[in-house]
Parts: sequence; C-alpha cells; structure tokens
Amino acid sequence: MRRDLRLALLLLLSAALESNSMSPPGKPVLLGCRSPEKETFTCWWEPGPDGGLPTTHRLYYERERLEGIHECPDYQSAGKNSCFFDKNHTSIWVDYFLTVVAFNDLGNATSDPLKMDVMEIVKPDPPENVTLLVKDIEDSPHLHVGWQRPQNTDTESGWVTIKYKLRVKQENNKKWKEYMSGTQTHFSLYSVSPGVEYSVQVRCRLDHGFWSEWSNTSHVKIPDYLQDKRPFGILVSTLCVITFIATMCILVMKRKYLKKCFLPPVPGPKITGVDFTLLKSGPTEDAINSLNQNFPLMVAWKDQMEDYLIVTENDIGLEPHPFISQKRKNRSMFSSSGFCFHSEIQSQDSRLSLNEQEKAGKRNHEIQQFVKSNKSLSGTSLSNIEQTQQCSHKQQGTIINFGITEATQQSRSHHDNTVKPLTDSGYVDIRRHEENTEEVDVKTLQYSRVKEMNSDNTLILEKENVSRPGYMDVQRQENTEGYSRVKEVEGDSMIIVQKQILSSDTYYKETGNNSIDCDLQMPRGLTGFSKVGVCAELDSGYVDTIPVTHLM
Amino acid sequence: MLDLRKKPRMEAGTSPVCPSGQAGCHVPSLADLFNRVIQQSSRVHAISSDLHSEFEQYFFPSKNFLGKGKCHTYGIMTPADKENAQRLGRDQLTEVILRLLGAWEDPLSQLYHSMSQDQNQDFNHYSSNKALEISDMVHELRDGVTKVAEKMKLLGVLGNYVGYTIPETLPPSSAFYFNKKGEVTSMDHLVLLYCFRRDSNKVKNYLRILKCTTLPVLDC
Repeated sequence: MRRDLRLALLLLLSAALESNSMSPPGKPVLLGCRSPEKETFTCWWEPGPDGGLPTTHRLYYERERLEGIHECPDYQSAGKNSCFFDKNHTSIWVDYFLTVVAFNDLGNATSDPLKMDVMEIVKPDPPENVTLLVKDIEDSPHLHVGWQRPQNTDTESGWVTIKYKLRVKQENNKKWKEYMSGTQTHFSLYSVSPGVEYSVQVRCRLDHGFWSEWSNTSHVKIPDYLQDKRPFGILVSTLCVITFIATMCILVMKRKYLKKCFLPPVPGPKITGVDFTLLKSGPTEDAINSLNQNFPLMVAWKDQMEDYLIVTENDIGLEPHPFISQKRKNRSMFSSSGFCFHSEIQSQDSRLSLNEQEKAGKRNHEIQQFVKSNKSLSGTSLSNIEQTQQCSHKQQGTIINFGITEATQQSRSHHDNTVKPLTDSGYVDIRRHEENTEEVDVKTLQYSRVKEMNSDNTLILEKENVSRPGYMDVQRQENTEGYSRVKEVEGDSMIIVQKQILSSDTYYKETGNNSIDCDLQMPRGLTGFSKVGVCAELDSGYVDTIPVTHLM
Repeated sequence: MLDLRKKPRMEAGTSPVCPSGQAGCHVPSLADLFNRVIQQSSRVHAISSDLHSEFEQYFFPSKNFLGKGKCHTYGIMTPADKENAQRLGRDQLTEVILRLLGAWEDPLSQLYHSMSQDQNQDFNHYSSNKALEISDMVHELRDGVTKVAEKMKLLGVLGNYVGYTIPETLPPSSAFYFNKKGEVTSMDHLVLLYCFRRDSNKVKNYLRILKCTTLPVLDC
C-alpha cells in the first residue's frame, strides 16, 4: 500500500520534473558592441538558459532620429549570438537602444536595454604585417619595426586618425617596454644588443577610442656582429699576449743587465793597485804589502775616527794588546780595507795574545764585550760593513769588530773595566797594566796629557801620574770634535798622531815625556796601527789626539 | 584627466594675418591653419570627455535617461557618417562646423557660471576652471575656423557666402538646459556635457574631412 503510494508519488514528481524542464528561455544578456573603424559595429549577447527548448534570439533596436523599432540587419556575419550593423545601418553621434529577446515555444525573455553611441565604442583591429628589420648603420645595429594599418580603417579621407604604440621585450626578460609611435607606421629601436632575440608587438587606436589588441608577436634575433670580427680580435689579442710574454722573459733573463743599466750600483772606492779580492780572503802579507805600497798617506777611511788605543804593559813583556776600537763620529765613509786592517791588526794582536794565554782569556772577553756593544752599524756604508764583518769573523774570535756607532758614550759605558767613557774631547786611551794580572783595573789606567802640539806632527805629552784615570786634556787648536788617530808610537813617549784630513798626508807626531816608542818600522798609512798595536811601549796613560784640521 | 591649462593655447584665432605679405610676417599656409584648427578641436573634445566622465561617476543615469531631442543643437542637421559628410561638400560642411561652434559658446559660459555659483558645492574648483577654459577654447576655435574659411575663399575653394547665412533659430540654451527655475542641478550639467562632448567630436571629424577634401591627399 505504502509502496504503491510512493511509486505514484515518484512518478508524479518525475513527470512534473520533466514538464518543468521545458520552460521559457532565460533572460539573455547584452555583452556589448564594438566598432572597428567607426563605420560599422557589432553587438554580442549571452543567451540565458534555453529552457530545454530550442530558443532563438532576436535583437531589436531603437535609434535617435529614427522612428520605430528595428531588428538587427545581420545575425550571421559576426558569428553566433551577434548582430552586425553595416554602413547603411550605422550612424554616428546618435544613440542606439538595443535589446535582445530570447524566444522559445513556451515564452520569451527580454534582456536589459543597452544604450550606446558608436562614437564611444570604437576599437580598431590590431595592426597588420608587423615586420622587423635589423639595419646596420656604421656598425651600430638598430631594429626597424614596420607595420600596416588595419585594412578596414580609412585614413585617407581623414575620417579616422590612427595612433600606434609598440612594445618590445628581450628574450629573457619578462618586462615589456612601450614606445609611442604617433601616426607613423614604422619605428626604429636603437638600444638593441647584438646576439639578443627581441619580441615586438604593435597596437593602435582611433582618435580617443579604445586601444586595439596587441598584434601577433614578431621575433627577431640581432646578429652578433662581433663574431665576424672575432677571429681578427682573437688574433690581435694573441699577438699582444705573445709579445708581452716575450718581453717579460727577456726582461727577466736580462735583469742583471737591466739592473746595471737602470740601477747602477754605487761605485765602491777604488784604490789603484789594490785588489780587494785579496783582502777578502783574509789578511795576508801580500795584501798588506800591496796596501802599504798603495796607500801612501792618510787613509780616508780613517776620517774622523776615534781610535782607542789601549796599550797594556805586563811583566811578560811589552806586548801590547792594543785595544782598538773605533768610533765613528760621522757617518763618513770608510773602506772595507780599513776594517780589514783592523782585523788584521787584531789578528796580529790575537797572535800576540795567543802567546800569552793567561792574559788572553779575560781580555778577549772584555774586548768581545766591547765589540758587541759597539756593534751597531749605521746605515750608510753597507757594503763596507759587510766586509767588516767578514773581517771580524775571520778572526779567531778574539777581537773586535769595529762598530760604527753614533752614540758612543753609551756603548763605551758598558766597559768600565776596559775603557773609560769617551768624551768629545780627543783622547787616546792607553792603558797600562802595572801588574801581571788579568784583571784590568780601571785605576791603573793612566793618562797622559798633551801639553802642546808642535807645528809638525808631534804632540808633547805631559807626564802625569794621576791617580784618577785622567784624561789628557787636549788643547784643541781648532774647535772641532773628533779624534786624532795615533798613527804610530815611537819610542817611549812618542805618539804619532794622524792628522784627520782625508787627503792630507800630514801627521802629527806626538812627543812628550812619555813618548811611546816603537821599535818597529813605521810604514805609512794604515799599517801604522799595526805597528802601534805591536809595539805599544807606552808606559804612561792616554794620549789625546787632536783633530787638528777640519775634515769635512 | 587632461590638464589643458598647462598646454599652450592655440593662437589661430588671435594671430594677425599679414594683410599684404609684409616682410618678416610669416603667412601660414592653409595646411598650417587646418592643422592648428584640428589640434584645437581635438583638445576641446578631450576636455569635454574628461569633464563628462568626471560628472558621470557621481551619477548613474539610467540607460534611457537621454531620450530623443535632449540636446539643444538637435535642430542642426549634421551628417551622421562618413559618406554623408563627404557628400555634403565643402561649403555646407564648413557651415555646419561654424554653426555648431556658434551654438555652444553661450551654453558653455553659462555652464561655468552655473558651476562656480553652485550652492551644493558639487563641483570642485578644478572642474569649474575647466569649464571656463573650454568656453574660451571654443571661442578661439570658432575664430580659427572662420579664418580657415576666409583663406579657402581666397583660394577659391569655398563659396563666398559661407558663414553668412542666417543660422537656424535655436531655442535659447539657457532655457534648454537650465529650464528649471531656481535650482540648477548637476543633472543639467551632465546633460549639457554629454551633448557638448558629442558635438565637439562632430566638429573634429568634420574638420578633418574638410581638410582632406580640400588639400591633397598626401597630407591626410
């Protein structure tokens, strides 16, 4: 029973549904209208639900200055659901009132009216035949874009004025760049890079209407002009690289020659007749003799050097152990030979000292101490320093390296035992040991004072036995600093002082009560030191030397 | 919105024409005159469009608000498409243009006054200044077209009586647009602007056709 009722209900419902599927059509919607050239126009609509029955749509319009309701003249030309108004049916500057009606068997439906004026719906077709030409003017490529106006527009009569716009995009870039073209149908792009592909689109509009759609994209690739020139460029650059490398190789190989050319070495002193290579190997008799012969007079390198000549006495014998040090007041040049000479002297000294081993130890130690403290070289005579060190190193480790010091007093002060600190007055410290001890006692140092200086090269010493380690006050004849070197010591109380002139050959001979005499020969020049070192007969104290003349 | 105040005004209406071709006085050619006039008309249309759209955004007129015969220049017969315009001929085309321009001088100045005196303060200063500018421009345009007509007459391409025919009687524009007593609403302004926009477009188009029918086709 109930089932039957349900079945009946279901059947009724389905019948009702089926009958409801057929209905009058739904309301269509007018989408809009468009005129591509301001002479015709087309309108489109959207049909509503058709109600299950075949429906037709009709467009009706009313127009300003036109009586009556009219129907669309052409449903076909513009496609489905459209109405095309040809020239005869198109009027500008008048209002159209359009409606679309959908009809089916059950009824009809009317859309909302649409008011339009052709003047307001102008939207042209996109430009046609967009051509891209790469033009190469004076090696700078530019892109020439050309196009044609849409076929249906009439610009000849002046009815419409078309304005164009184009946009350009590089292949990898997503951004378009737009350019206005005005009324021209061509455009030149100058900012193009070779080897890049460009995409171009153009659109247009009539008067102040709507812009058209963009034209189809045209692509072009700018040829890479560099490729034509690339082999040439590679060739040129290769040649340049090869030339450069060759030049560098030559420079490197000939660098010594170039150095000589462009950076000539500072000429070292050349002393005729002296072969410095001999000296390098160490002091030899031959070298010394050659030097003796070739160095007639003053040695330039002795310039303003203050020498400490410390002569010690001991009961073993008069074997002086001259303690020679040099102090350079000025950074004057001194030759390497000088240093070597000193080393030679020292080596001689060392030879002597070797004979007295019991003395040698401490004394050498002191000397070494002194040496080390003095061993500060000024910056000037580098080449000579080198040789100096060579000289000193060759010794048996006994004596002294001649240091070039400027601050003399500081260095000297380290060696209170050995040497009295020097002042700027010229002193030659001559030390004398009274006892045969290895101790070097300051108090035993005695000084002799220069009494006067003769016109010739003699210093007359006063004999004083001063308890204190006195200095021989030097009466300076000239107000200069510096020291005079003891050239040689003669006898018991004679010291021959070298005049500190670079070029002069005069000597001052010192004579005094306590003159130092030397048994040895006295060759001129540097070897005087050696003699002094050997003979050192001085029993009194110090001999002050005076720099008699300016040495500049 | 175009700001035409920043653009230089066309001086075709005010520049003196050299009477006897004196030295140093550049006599503009007909093509130059046409170009100037067409540019001016283009600017006028642009301003009118701007003004209209400015008004329109405040109102949403019904689709049928503008019935037939709402514009006061309805009585002036104007060609409604290209063929008709070309068929009209130079003389009549020039006449139409001059008539249209003449018909709008008054209403535009009234528009400006109405806008500046508006009690409702619906219009900002900018719009009322535009209205003033437009009325001046239309005046200049009319003078310019008159000069073009003179030139054409000199050249013999235009009939000598163009511009002298008695214009058809038009209803006074003040009554046409602002016929409501007392208040002048914005709707009245909108209608006026709508009509003026249309007529300025007509003038622009007609001038172009006139130029291209008068001068060689190359210039078009």
